[in-house]
Amino acid sequence: MPSFYHTWLPFIYLYGVGGVFFVLGLIFAIKSNALNLKKKKHKYWLRVLIFGYLYFMFIHAFFTIAALYW
Amino acid sequence: MEKFHNIGTSADWLVMLFYFMFVMLFGSYFGRYNRNTKDFFFGGRRFTWWLIAFSIVATGVGSHSFIKYSAMGFNNGFSSTMTYLNDWFFMPFFLFGWLPIVIYTKVQSIPEYFEKRFSPSARFLATILLIFYMVGYIGIGFLTMGSAMLPMLPESFVLFGSNFPVTLMGVVTVIAVITGIYITFGGQTAVIFTDLLQGVVLLFAGFLLFFLGVSYLGGFSIFWDMLPAEWKLPLAHFNKPSGFNFVGIFWQDGIAGSVGFLFMNMGLIMRFMATKSVDEGRKAAVFNVLFMLPLSAIVVGNAGWIGKALSIEFPDLVPPNTVPDQIFVVVANIVSHPGVFGFIMAALTAALMSTVDTLINATAAIYINDIHRPLIKAYSKRVNTVKETDKKELFAARIASVAITILGVISVLAFKNFPTIYEAHGYFHSTLTPPLVVAIFLGAFWKRFTPSGVIASFVSGVALMILGSNYPAALIGPFDHGIVMDSSHPYTYIRALYNILVCLSIAVIITYLDTILRNITAKWKKSGTDRKITNILIPVTVIFFLLTSLNITNMPVSLALALINSFLISLIVTSRVKYDAVRNTEGLTVWSIQKAKEIFKGSKINEAEGKTVKVKFKIKTDDNSDTVNFSFTEMEDMAAEVGDLVYISDARKYLGGLKSVHSVYGEPHGEKGIVYITEDHLASGLFNKNRILVAEKEM
Repeated sequence: MPSFYHTWLPFIYLYGVGGVFFVLGLIFAIKSNALNLKKKKHKYWLRVLIFGYLYFMFIHAFFTIAALYW
Repeated sequence: MEKFHNIGTSADWLVMLFYFMFVMLFGSYFGRYNRNTKDFFFGGRRFTWWLIAFSIVATGVGSHSFIKYSAMGFNNGFSSTMTYLNDWFFMPFFLFGWLPIVIYTKVQSIPEYFEKRFSPSARFLATILLIFYMVGYIGIGFLTMGSAMLPMLPESFVLFGSNFPVTLMGVVTVIAVITGIYITFGGQTAVIFTDLLQGVVLLFAGFLLFFLGVSYLGGFSIFWDMLPAEWKLPLAHFNKPSGFNFVGIFWQDGIAGSVGFLFMNMGLIMRFMATKSVDEGRKAAVFNVLFMLPLSAIVVGNAGWIGKALSIEFPDLVPPNTVPDQIFVVVANIVSHPGVFGFIMAALTAALMSTVDTLINATAAIYINDIHRPLIKAYSKRVNTVKETDKKELFAARIASVAITILGVISVLAFKNFPTIYEAHGYFHSTLTPPLVVAIFLGAFWKRFTPSGVIASFVSGVALMILGSNYPAALIGPFDHGIVMDSSHPYTYIRALYNILVCLSIAVIITYLDTILRNITAKWKKSGTDRKITNILIPVTVIFFLLTSLNITNMPVSLALALINSFLISLIVTSRVKYDAVRNTEGLTVWSIQKAKEIFKGSKINEAEGKTVKVKFKIKTDDNSDTVNFSFTEMEDMAAEVGDLVYISDARKYLGGLKSVHSVYGEPHGEKGIVYITEDHLASGLFNKNRILVAEKEM
C-alpha cells in the first residue's frame, strides 16, 4: 500500500494551498466588482468557478481511491 | 539506456508527408484572410468560443507535449497527468481580472501593459524577460520535435560518398526551416484554423493510440491490473524523487506554470484576444481547462502508461531501460500498423509545429509592438500613411519570425543536456516565469504596486534568483519541503517557490517603502542634485548587479549587495519615472474594470441585456462612418442605444465568426429586418451577398 506521502498528502496540499489561491481570486473578483453578483450572467460564472474546483477535486479523489482499492 | 533508430516504414513517411502538405495548404488558404498586422497577429477579434477552444488544444497539447508526458508516464505512471489538472486555481484571477484587462485596454502585448501601468522602462525590462521566455519556449518545442523525429531516422546517411551522422541539432534545424516558412506566410488566422484542425486530429490520434495499446495488451482490465498501485495514483509522491515529485511540480507548474501559461503566454493570450468578446474568451478558457485539458492529459501520457505495461509483460519488446523521451515513438510503432504509425507521428509533429508557430507569431508581435514601433517612433522622421506603415510592419514581422526561429534553435543547446525534456521544461519554467508572474499579478491586482517595486523586482529579483542557482543548498534548501538536492540539477522544480518568494518580497517591500523613497528623492530635487545623484547611482547598480549575478564575491556579500541594489534602483526609479497613481491604474487593475470597459467603449456602458437578431444587409452609400443602422424594432430587441458597440456575423454557426465585423450602432430606421452597413464592413466582414447576418450588442 503506498504511503500517505504518495496518496492523500499531495491531495490535501494541492487543494489546500491551491484552494487558498482560488478563494483569494474569488474574493478579489467579487470585492472589486469585476465579478458582479447582481448580474445574472456573473452569478452563473461564480457557479461555474466553484463547480470547476469541486470537479477537479473529485477527479483526483476518485482516481486515488481507484488506484488503492480497485 | 536503450536508444532506437529507423523506426517506421516508407508508408509512414508518405502519410506524414501528405499530412504536412495538407496542413500547410489548409493554413495558406486561411492566410489570405490577413489584411493587416492586426489580422496577422490577432485574427481580427471575431471568433466564437468553440473555435478558439479547439484551436487551443493543439497549442496546449503541443507545448505540454506527447514526448515529455509519455516519458514521465513511462517513468512514474498516471501522475504524469497532474500538470494538466492543476490550472483551475487561477481561473477567478484570469477570467475576471487579467482577461478583461488585456481586452479592454487593447494592449497588443504584455510589455505594452507594463508601460501603461508603470513606465517605459518597466516595459523595456518586461520585453527582455518576455522574449527570453518565449524564445526558451520555442527552443523546448524544437527540442521535443527533434526528439520525436530522431528515433524514426537512421543513425547516419551517405551523401556524395561522405557519411553524415543524424544529430538532434541537425534534425531541429531542418524542422525549424519548415516551421519558419509556414509561419512567415501564414499569420494568426492561418494558425488558428490549422490549430483547430490539428486539435481535433490530435485528440483522435491520442485516443486511437490508447485504444490500440489497450487492445494490444488484451483489454483494459488486464492493462489496469498489470500496473502497480503507485503507478495508478493521479498525484506523484510528495517529495521523492528529486526528478519528479508532487510539491516541486506544484510550485513549478501549478503556480508559476499556470500563471505563466494563462497570464503571460502571448500565444495563448492572443487566442483569447481573437474571440469576439470577453465573455466568449471566458467560455473558451473554461471549456479548455475543464474538458480539453483532462482529455489532453490522457492523449499525451497514455503511450508512457502502455509502454510501462509492455515493459512488464514483454521486456524484450520494450526494455525497461528504454530512453524515456523515445517511449512515445516506440509504443506507437509497436501497437499500430504501418501507415497508422505515420498518421500518429504526423499528428504529433504537426501539433508541436502548431505550438511553435503560435509562439513564433506571438514573439514577432512582441517585437513589432515593443521594439520596432518605439524605435521607428523615436528615430524615423518620415511620416508614412497607415497603409505604408502596415505594409512595412508586416514585412518586419515576417523578418522577425525568421530571426526568432533561429534564436529558438540556438536555445535548444541550453536544454538538450537535461535527462528528460520534462525536466528541461520544468527548469525553464521555474527560472524564467517568476519575475514576470509576480509583476503581472501584483500589477493587475494591487493598485498600490509602484514602478520602483516592479523594476526593483525585475532586476534584484533576477539577481537573487541567480544567487539561488549559485547557492542552492543555502538559499533554496529552506523551501525544499524535504526534497533531496540532486547536485547535477539542483532543485529543478521547487526553485520556483524560492524564485517567486524573492521577487514577491522585493516587490512588496519596495512598494511599502514608497513614502520614504519619495521623501528622499524630494530632498534631492529640492537641492537640484537629483540628476547628478541618479547619474552616479545608475553605474553603481549595474556593478552591484554584475557582482551578484557573476558570483564574484561570497554569498553573504552578494546577498547584501542584491538587497542594497534593490533600494538604490527604487531610488533611481522614484526620482526619474513620472508616475501618476490614478492615471496609471485607471482601467488597468481589477479594481477599475468598469472604467476599462468605458474606456474601451468610449462612453457609458449600457448594461441592459438584449437578444440576438437575424437581419439581411444593405450597403449604405451616403455615410462612410464606422456605424451600422438597424431598424427601431431590432434596436429594441437588442436593448441597444445609438453609440453602443455591436458585433455582426454570418448566421452560419460553423464559420465560428470568420465572417464578422465589429461596429457601432448608428441612428435607427424603419425597415424591419434590414441592417445598413458600409463597403468597408462588407470587405472586412467578408460577408456574402444575400446571406443572413446575426447581430448582438457587444456592450
